Amino acid sequence: MHMANELLSVPVAAGTLAIAAAAIGFICRKARQVIATEKLALMGILGAFVFAAQMVNFQIPAMPGTSGHMVGAVLLAIILGPHLGTIVISSVVIIQCLIFQDGGLLALGCNIINMGLVPCYLGYFLYKVVTAGQFSSLKSYIGAMLACLLALEAGAILVPIQAALSGVLAVPFSTFLITMIGVHFLVGFIEGLITVAVLAYLQQVRPDVVLDCLPGKVRLSRGAVLITLAVFSIIAGAGLSLLASDFPDGLEWSYAERPDQPDFDSVVSNEDPRVAAVDDFQSKYSLLPDYSGRTSKLGQVAVDEADLSAGWTSFAGVVGSAVTMGIIWFAASILRKRRPSKA
Amino acid sequence: MPAVPVSGALRVLVCEFGCTYQMHHAHIDKFAYQDSVIHRLDSRVKFIAVLVFTAVVISLPRTSLSILACFAIGPFAVLVLGGIPLRFVFKQILLVSPFVLVLALSCPLYDRTPLTVAFGPFLWRGTIGWMRCFAILGKFVVTMLALIGLVSTTRFNDLLAGLQKLGVPKLLVIQLGFLYRYIFVLIDRAHHILQARAGRKLRNLGFKRELRTASAMVGSLFIRSIDTAEHINIAMQGRGFDGRWRSISKLQIRRADLLFAIISIFFMLVLYIFVKPILQ
Repeated sequence: MHMANELLSVPVAAGTLAIAAAAIGFICRKARQVIATEKLALMGILGAFVFAAQMVNFQIPAMPGTSGHMVGAVLLAIILGPHLGTIVISSVVIIQCLIFQDGGLLALGCNIINMGLVPCYLGYFLYKVVTAGQFSSLKSYIGAMLACLLALEAGAILVPIQAALSGVLAVPFSTFLITMIGVHFLVGFIEGLITVAVLAYLQQVRPDVVLDCLPGKVRLSRGAVLITLAVFSIIAGAGLSLLASDFPDGLEWSYAERPDQPDFDSVVSNEDPRVAAVDDFQSKYSLLPDYSGRTSKLGQVAVDEADLSAGWTSFAGVVGSAVTMGIIWFAASILRKRRPSKA
Repeated sequence: MPAVPVSGALRVLVCEFGCTYQMHHAHIDKFAYQDSVIHRLDSRVKFIAVLVFTAVVISLPRTSLSILACFAIGPFAVLVLGGIPLRFVFKQILLVSPFVLVLALSCPLYDRTPLTVAFGPFLWRGTIGWMRCFAILGKFVVTMLALIGLVSTTRFNDLLAGLQKLGVPKLLVIQLGFLYRYIFVLIDRAHHILQARAGRKLRNLGFKRELRTASAMVGSLFIRSIDTAEHINIAMQGRGFDGRWRSISKLQIRRADLLFAIISIFFMLVLYIFVKPILQ
């Protein structure tokens, strides 16, 4: 569920980057006051542990050929606390972007929110709510399971919301949303199972780790938990209401034309010359001029000379770019061949 | 017992100077240690240039295709000048593409507005969905070229130092530095565990036992990680680590960096202002 650059618009990418940067900056400043230098190594190693743990795969029944592995956000949030868990997971996401190119640079904000902030805080909160009071292993297992299911689901739901706000996808929002929820229910379930199993193992071998005693844990007060939850729900609500009010994608096309009904008149027909001028400007600067050939009357396509010439310019552009790249490549390879002989 | 920290450190050294692990991950930034005009540029300049470039490419209209070819010239030139093999680059792009590929290929299914595209001597009849699909894939390839151009020509330590200068919190920078150093150590360890499992497990054990085995593996990996962290911490304390990350990477903006910045700004401005309206 790594978000890619292409599924985002610049405002959404910038907004999520700003939110993620503010959150990480705040958490870092908070955490810096609390943790001592000896926890720095621990956090770094646990980040590397997430990578290694993702390699341990196992067979999933009923689906031969597929294998599951863990994501680790909830496990780290439970053991390290949400603040440090978020920092560790965010650093994992950043490394995945910078070293392994998984997820785009502009999508980094989205990925940190979807996979770091939301799962860590929501997962920790759910786990704490379920395991409140006397500690019992059953409670902790139910809590971990619930936390994994809901926290991963919440992060996954954000992906279609961000894509829809950007208006890049042609896929209907509901279809995308249902697919993501379905897929991540499965992912969350498997994550929950393995998190519970790892917690059970750790409780046998190192009970101190599970029981809040790992050094460097930052406790979260009840007030802070409620405030973060409130902020998240406000952000989610705002996002959803934005979607409901002006869905940027389908609407735009639907009122302009109906390809399935050639006789359909545009609902919006404004004769104002200023609007026409703006339309003209837009068609000049935003859409493909090649598109003007889509006056589809029962499949008949009218292509006039203007379109053909536009086609030739784009052809020239592509060919020119290819030739330029070829020249660069040749020049570089000649230079490289020459260099060893000089030296 | 976990590996002693000394061997851990040695392994990291081995990793950093051309390692021999089978993981594709480990090979990923081997090109960052080459030397070229591009490698010598300041990491901050490169990082900002790639960020702006990505934003510009993403903000292109969602159905324009041919201009992407022009935008590809920039990162292509950087990759070629940096001496990065193009086969490696495209392999890497393929490796990370599945999610985008699925979403892009679903576009033609949903947007079937017919259109005709004139492209030079060719006239292609298709749907807007296909145009969008190609535009998403094209943007993906171009932005990935830029990102790979940044990462494979910049040493990660330099990049981190640059990021810190740019205002990324120190804690996060230290965290990233540690993480980068120990990824390969722990991945190596996971390989050993996986090998051991493969050697003992000759058939599918059924879901319950598979899960139990996997969780025991993850659990023991976790505990060994904690122990390793303690050992590393002791070693670092012994050498006087005080929470500050010192690096020998020298960062300074030289004339070449300015030149690179001017060229990239010029490149993007020209394409955005002059070429974009003509060439859609």
